[in-house]
Amino acid sequence: MHPALWVSKTGLSAQDTNMSTISNNLANVNTTGFKRDRAVFQDLLYQIDRQPGGMNTQNSELPSGLQLGTGVRIVGTTKQFSQGNLEVTEQPLDLAVNGRGFMQILLPDGQIAYTRDGQFQLNADGDIVNPDGYTLEPNINVPENATNVTIGKDGTVSAVTNDQAAPVNLGEITLVNFINPQGLQAIGNNLYKATNASGDPAEGEPGIGGLGTLEQGMVEASNVEVVEELVNMITTQRAYEMNSKVVSATDQMLQFITNNIG
Amino acid sequence: MDKALYIGMSGAKQNMLSQQAHANNLANVSTTGFKRDFAQARSMPVFGEHHPTRAYAMAERPGSDLSAGALMDTGRKLDVAVEGDGWLAVQNQQGEEVFTRSGSMQIDVNGLMRLSSGEMVMGNGGPVALPPFDNVQVGADGTISVVPVGGPPDQLVEVDRLKLVNPPREALEKGEDGFIRRRADQALDGPEPPDANMRVASGFLESSNVNAVEEMISNLQLSRQYEMQVKIMTTANENSEASARLLQNL
Repeated sequence: MHPALWVSKTGLSAQDTNMSTISNNLANVNTTGFKRDRAVFQDLLYQIDRQPGGMNTQNSELPSGLQLGTGVRIVGTTKQFSQGNLEVTEQPLDLAVNGRGFMQILLPDGQIAYTRDGQFQLNADGDIVNPDGYTLEPNINVPENATNVTIGKDGTVSAVTNDQAAPVNLGEITLVNFINPQGLQAIGNNLYKATNASGDPAEGEPGIGGLGTLEQGMVEASNVEVVEELVNMITTQRAYEMNSKVVSATDQMLQFITNNIG
Repeated sequence: MDKALYIGMSGAKQNMLSQQAHANNLANVSTTGFKRDFAQARSMPVFGEHHPTRAYAMAERPGSDLSAGALMDTGRKLDVAVEGDGWLAVQNQQGEEVFTRSGSMQIDVNGLMRLSSGEMVMGNGGPVALPPFDNVQVGADGTISVVPVGGPPDQLVEVDRLKLVNPPREALEKGEDGFIRRRADQALDGPEPPDANMRVASGFLESSNVNAVEEMISNLQLSRQYEMQVKIMTTANENSEASARLLQNL
C-alpha cells in the first residue's frame, strides 16, 4: 500500500495524543497544585531505500540516496514543575509549598504518596487529612479543645487550647524533594509516587536545604496557562487536519488507480 | 509491449516515495528541532540495445533543510535553543556523538543531563553531570551554573558548559535515528571541536522548520502527477488493445 498513508497515520495519532494532553491540562485549570504536561514529539526511524554513495553504474556513484522517514511518535510527556500562583483562602488548614518540595500523604495501603495540593481538613479523630481522607505524614493530631491552629513556615504546628494559655506544639510537617521530580508517577487525585527515575525522596524541614516554605491559609493554583493551551490546541488541530488531508489524498490516489487500471 | 507502460509505472512509484518524504515532514510539524527533508526526482536514462529515448524517474533525498525553526517560549530553564547556526552535541546509546537542535533536557537520578529521548548531553569533557541543586541556570554561551542544595542563592557554582559545535553544513547529514551527524566521507579524526562563539537561549525550544502549507501543496501536486502517470499507463493499455484489434481484423 501507499507508504504515505502509514506516515500520516502516525502524524494523526501523535496529534491525537497531544490533544488529549492539552485537554487534560485545560480540564485541570482549577485543580489545586496541578502541574501541566507537555507532549514530547520525536521522529521515527528513517529507512534507507537507496544507499548514498552506492554504485549506480561501474563508473558512477549515486551522489545522494533515498532515505525516507517513517513518521512521528510521542516519546513521552514531561510535567512542568513550575510554581503555580498562591491563592489566599484564609482556611487555617490550607497549605501551599512556596518553592520546591512535596507534602507526604499516607495511602490506605501503607505507601507514601506526594502532593502539592494542600487543602487539608480534620477527620473525626482530629487527624489532618487530605480531601480524600488520607492522613498527612507525619501524622498531626489536633486535640478537640484546640481553638487556633497555627502552621509556621518551617512546618511547626501549634495550637492554643482552652485549658492552657501557652500554645501547644502538635508536631512538625516535613517536606520531601526529588532529584528529578519529572520522573514522578502521577497517580491521579493530585498525588504522585516515587519511581526509579525520580530517585529517592530526601526529607527535610521546610525552608532549609533548598525546600520551599509552607504557607498557611493559602493553596497553590494550577500552573496551566489557558492562553498557551488554547494556542497549542489550535496548532494541534490544524496539524491534525493537514495530516488527514494527506490520508484522503493518498486514498484518492489508490482509488484512482483501481478505477483506471485493472 | 510499449515501454511507456513501464516508464509511467516508475513515475508513479517514485511519486509515492516522494510523497512519503513530504508526509513525514508534515507528520513532524510539531517535533521540536526537526529539520525537514528535501525530496527531488532525477532522470535516469535507460541503457541497452535500443535507441536511447527513455529515461526513468528516480526519487532521492538530496539532504535536509538545516535552517532554523522559530523559537518557542517554554519558560523552563532546562529547555535550550541554539541561536543562529550550530548544534548541541549529545551522545546516543551506542556511545556515538550526534548533533541535535532539540534541547529539552532532564536530569536523571544520577544527575546526568539527558534529552527527553534519553541521549546524554555532552559538556566540556564528556556527558554533563550536575550535583544536587536548588536552582540551575544555562548561560548564553552554554555555561551551566547551579545553586547547590542549601547554598546561598548569590553563590552560583559553574559546573560545566554545553558542548556546542558548528561543523560546516555541507558536511552534515541526517542519520537513520533522525539525529544529525557528519557524513562518512567528511568524518574527522577525533571528536568534533566545540565552537566558543555559539549562543544559546535558555527557556526556549526550537520548533520544527516544516512549512505545513508547502508540504501539503507538494503532496497534492504529487498526487496529481501520480494520476497523470496512471493516465499514461491506461493510454499505453488502450494503444496495445487497439493494435491487438487491428491484428485480429487482418
